[in-house]
Amino acid sequence: MEAIKNAFDFSDLPKTELSLAAAVLVFLLGFPALPHSSFGMSTMIQFLAFSLYGMGWNLIGGYGGQVDLGKAQYVGIGAYTTAVMMIRWNVPFWFSMPLGMAFAVGWSFIIGYPLFRLKGHYFAIATIATSLVLKDLFEVWDFVGGARGLELPIKGDFPNWLYLQFREDYYYYYILLAMFLVGLIYVNGFRHSRLGYQLRAIKDNEHVARSLGIDVHWSKIKAYAMATAFVAAVGSFHACYNYNIEPEDVMSLDLSVLIAMMAMLGGAGSIWGPIIGAAILVPMKNYLGSWLGGQAGFAGMDLALYGLIIMVIAAAQPRGVYGIVEAVRARRR
Amino acid sequence: MALLNVDKVSKHFGGLVANHEVSFEVDQNEVVGLIGPNGAGKTTLFNCIAGYHALTSGTVRFNGADISQLKDYQVARLGLARTFQIFEASGDLSVVDNVMVGSFMHTGSRGEARRLARDTLEFLGIAETARSMMTELPVAAQKRVALATALASQPKLLLLDEVGAGLNPSEIEGLINLLQRIHREKGIALLLTEHVLEMVMAMSHRVIVLESGQKIAEGEPAEVVKDPEVVRAYLGDHYVKRQAKEDGDA
Repeated sequence: MEAIKNAFDFSDLPKTELSLAAAVLVFLLGFPALPHSSFGMSTMIQFLAFSLYGMGWNLIGGYGGQVDLGKAQYVGIGAYTTAVMMIRWNVPFWFSMPLGMAFAVGWSFIIGYPLFRLKGHYFAIATIATSLVLKDLFEVWDFVGGARGLELPIKGDFPNWLYLQFREDYYYYYILLAMFLVGLIYVNGFRHSRLGYQLRAIKDNEHVARSLGIDVHWSKIKAYAMATAFVAAVGSFHACYNYNIEPEDVMSLDLSVLIAMMAMLGGAGSIWGPIIGAAILVPMKNYLGSWLGGQAGFAGMDLALYGLIIMVIAAAQPRGVYGIVEAVRARRR
Repeated sequence: MALLNVDKVSKHFGGLVANHEVSFEVDQNEVVGLIGPNGAGKTTLFNCIAGYHALTSGTVRFNGADISQLKDYQVARLGLARTFQIFEASGDLSVVDNVMVGSFMHTGSRGEARRLARDTLEFLGIAETARSMMTELPVAAQKRVALATALASQPKLLLLDEVGAGLNPSEIEGLINLLQRIHREKGIALLLTEHVLEMVMAMSHRVIVLESGQKIAEGEPAEVVKDPEVVRAYLGDHYVKRQAKEDGDA
């Protein structure tokens, strides 16, 4: 019971942040009713998806300080579980999604156990490696379509809630928005939980954490598993939304890096960080990408540009955009 | 039976003998000081007791149980808390949040952990800093928070590694009072190492002297400082010989 109360307890956050969050929530709820292009709608859906990826990443990368650059492997596990089960056995999304989360969590225990013997950069590099190995395996595994990937069958009967197939994007939007809100409340509960406190102690100093009775290795594995569940759930959603998945798309290093980058840009270790990061980077990636990509000789410049922005932020304020907000607030006090 | 029983503990790092067959006990209602010149092996001995180092040989018993093979966090859960010489302040957590990490050792409830943390801060007289960030506090206050965090885990024995280091004389006096209150009012046994001898001498019921990894003396503070072995360890052979000569001349 207390866990539920903690999850809905936002009272420790400043009032200005809460009013801003409420305004954003009203906007998100009303967005489909506002005039928008289909490109705008798909950008919003991507924003929600990356916010959720980032919230997951934040549990281990932000609160725990363990920089994870292999989250794409869990996007892949979620997406492939849903796709394979729908294609082969007609399993609905609502059943395959939790199963995908369970597979991803199981896999996270298997690789988390040895990986968390490593620290710092070594851990980061190892997460990249495991993710790439899994991607390579999927590319040669015929059962899951190999490198060509999988095409989801169109079930018809729109709106099809069972298989998450809709003609209009706003169905997807609201389903993802609901997942976004559940995710946000979960992270808020995590922040207030014993594990949440212990992870922040681990991030500070592992020796001190151990002297306070914290089993550092096991705590990291648990948080990593929770982070994984988030990412896999959105992966399942992505398979239905996209109708088409392939290893290069859902398990690439680019995706892993993008997930970590958004959370870090927004502010790792803060509840709003991943959302701020996704709100900045997703539109930038989409609009700048399509605009610059259209100019002759400028293709790829958008990547260089947002690389530069991230470097500037990392140098000026390692705690990201939210860190800047906090620094300003501290100065005013 | 003693709360802590260290029996012939040795710790070697390769060919280096950091501790050699050190034995001593700490009772439930005792404050014991562990002194010795730099490099005598005090911190290593602490690390051996707290499970940070695997012992080369010997046994450590705590509250009747053999803890020699346990990991550091398991030892902590049995009620053996410690502070560190070098304390790094946290950026993410406020003072009360930091202390809560300690109180979460025995409870999963946030409300309960917070209550315990606030009580502990109040007990240590730093309740007004509860909402500050660690990085905003001066070093002496940060050390108090570290002490509060250890206390919030409700230990039976507290190992204090150089808590007085870097503090000025008035801060040290405040710390002595505080530690004595912790001992008397909370009934927590203390084992402390210190360079600041004045602090150990003022507080300890018993002092153990280490030199080159071995115990060379044990006894009440006033006796121990007169022990020729101890004087030699701290001040060197020359001093002892000269002193003996002067005594002979007189």
